[in-house]
Amino acid sequence: MQSLWNYPTMIGPGLAYAMLPLLRRVHAGDPPALEAAMLRHLESFNSHPYMSAVAVGALARMEADGASEDEIRRFRTALRGPLGTLGDRTIWAEWRPLCLLLGVTLYGFGASPLVCALAFLAPYNAGHLWVRYWGFRRGWEHGRTVGRLLREFPLERLTDRLWPVTMFLLGAAAVLLGREIFATAGPGAVSLPLLLVAGLTAVPAFRWPNRFGRLAIGLLLSIPVIWTLLALRGGGP
Amino acid sequence: MPLTELALTPGIWLLLVGLGGLLALDAVSFPQIMVSRPFVSATIGGAMVGRPVGGMLVGAVLELLSMRHPPYGAAKYPDTGPAGLVAGAAYAAAGAASIEALVAALIGGWATGWAGSYAGHARRRLNGRLVADRPALAASPGRLERRVAAALAIDFGRGALVTAGFLVPVTLAAALAAGMPVAGGEAAFGAAALVTALAASIGAGARTTAPDGRAWAMVLLGAAIAAALLWNLP
Repeated sequence: MQSLWNYPTMIGPGLAYAMLPLLRRVHAGDPPALEAAMLRHLESFNSHPYMSAVAVGALARMEADGASEDEIRRFRTALRGPLGTLGDRTIWAEWRPLCLLLGVTLYGFGASPLVCALAFLAPYNAGHLWVRYWGFRRGWEHGRTVGRLLREFPLERLTDRLWPVTMFLLGAAAVLLGREIFATAGPGAVSLPLLLVAGLTAVPAFRWPNRFGRLAIGLLLSIPVIWTLLALRGGGP
Repeated sequence: MPLTELALTPGIWLLLVGLGGLLALDAVSFPQIMVSRPFVSATIGGAMVGRPVGGMLVGAVLELLSMRHPPYGAAKYPDTGPAGLVAGAAYAAAGAASIEALVAALIGGWATGWAGSYAGHARRRLNGRLVADRPALAASPGRLERRVAAALAIDFGRGALVTAGFLVPVTLAAALAAGMPVAGGEAAFGAAALVTALAASIGAGARTTAPDGRAWAMVLLGAAIAAALLWNLP
């Protein structure tokens, strides 16, 4: 869907490519109709990549039902915003962090890399593939009325309930990972009070995410600089 | 570790470059199953040089550092597949766990990620040229199919190129850093600074997930329980 992502038409060409097998069927034996359909679906479009399955199903259904060009264009435009917002909010902002933090937390408790990676990938992709399947199926079944179903998107209902779990795992993962980082500094370097004090930086960062996000990278980059300065002052490490 | 003992043989380098291309593909083009997340890609990088656990540590840190860059719309965000792969392989190849190598691998991974991001920006522009002639593509759907194949090949090449460009320098930097240990107090300072950076990034990233300030109760609960359990861990 996103392989041809570009600034002027975004995932429009990807949408047309995904719809191509259906359009070939719907307009079989009518090349001018296929060409016209391709031309309108190559136009600018954007949405969350998984949720675009809804658009593929619904638009193909409208083509099959013989909806007018104007109606298809208006529906296509109306679908962009909701599919993008819903996917970004539900999948990128909720589902993926939840599954990732599950894996990171298990890593902090000493689980094997394979188990940790699977703890992230298995539930995440179960949700991912289900969204694609659900989206295409519902889109095809409901065509132009699919918008109403988006208000009952099941994954959204699930993630709305699960955000406290994500936050809980975030706190646990931060402490566990902090401990691992201190462990690389040598035996005895692990300091729980220092770990918790450093962790308090997260509180203002929540309030000013951009400033503190940049601060995080600045801090990372400053570590070797400070080490070098200290080594130069002390005559070498 | 002496540089001559680095596990990064030409064969593994070549394999990692190919993997870098595949992981770059996963992030955006296909299949988006998230093996391109640094938590996984760094583990793969570490596993390729014999230390998956080391790779996973780098990956987990990079993961939390990149939390505040969700791939919304046309936003620019680090290309985490090659970034994690390079950082994980570099840290693992540097030998035993050390804060010096970890910092070097993380900085190398961060640089790789943003180089990949800028290369991705160029790819988006190139894609725009590939699909500029819409009437021709509509008239000949086979042409669109070939353009998709070309775009996939370009994206693979982009990831492989970024990986190839950064893998050796970052691995050497991590190995050199591991071979020049800083004093104990300075190492602890480095760890504290890194944890503070991580906390800042987590706080900034949590903003995209948490609905409001109530989230902190759960974050603190998770942190407290993990800390309590840590006292009992070896």
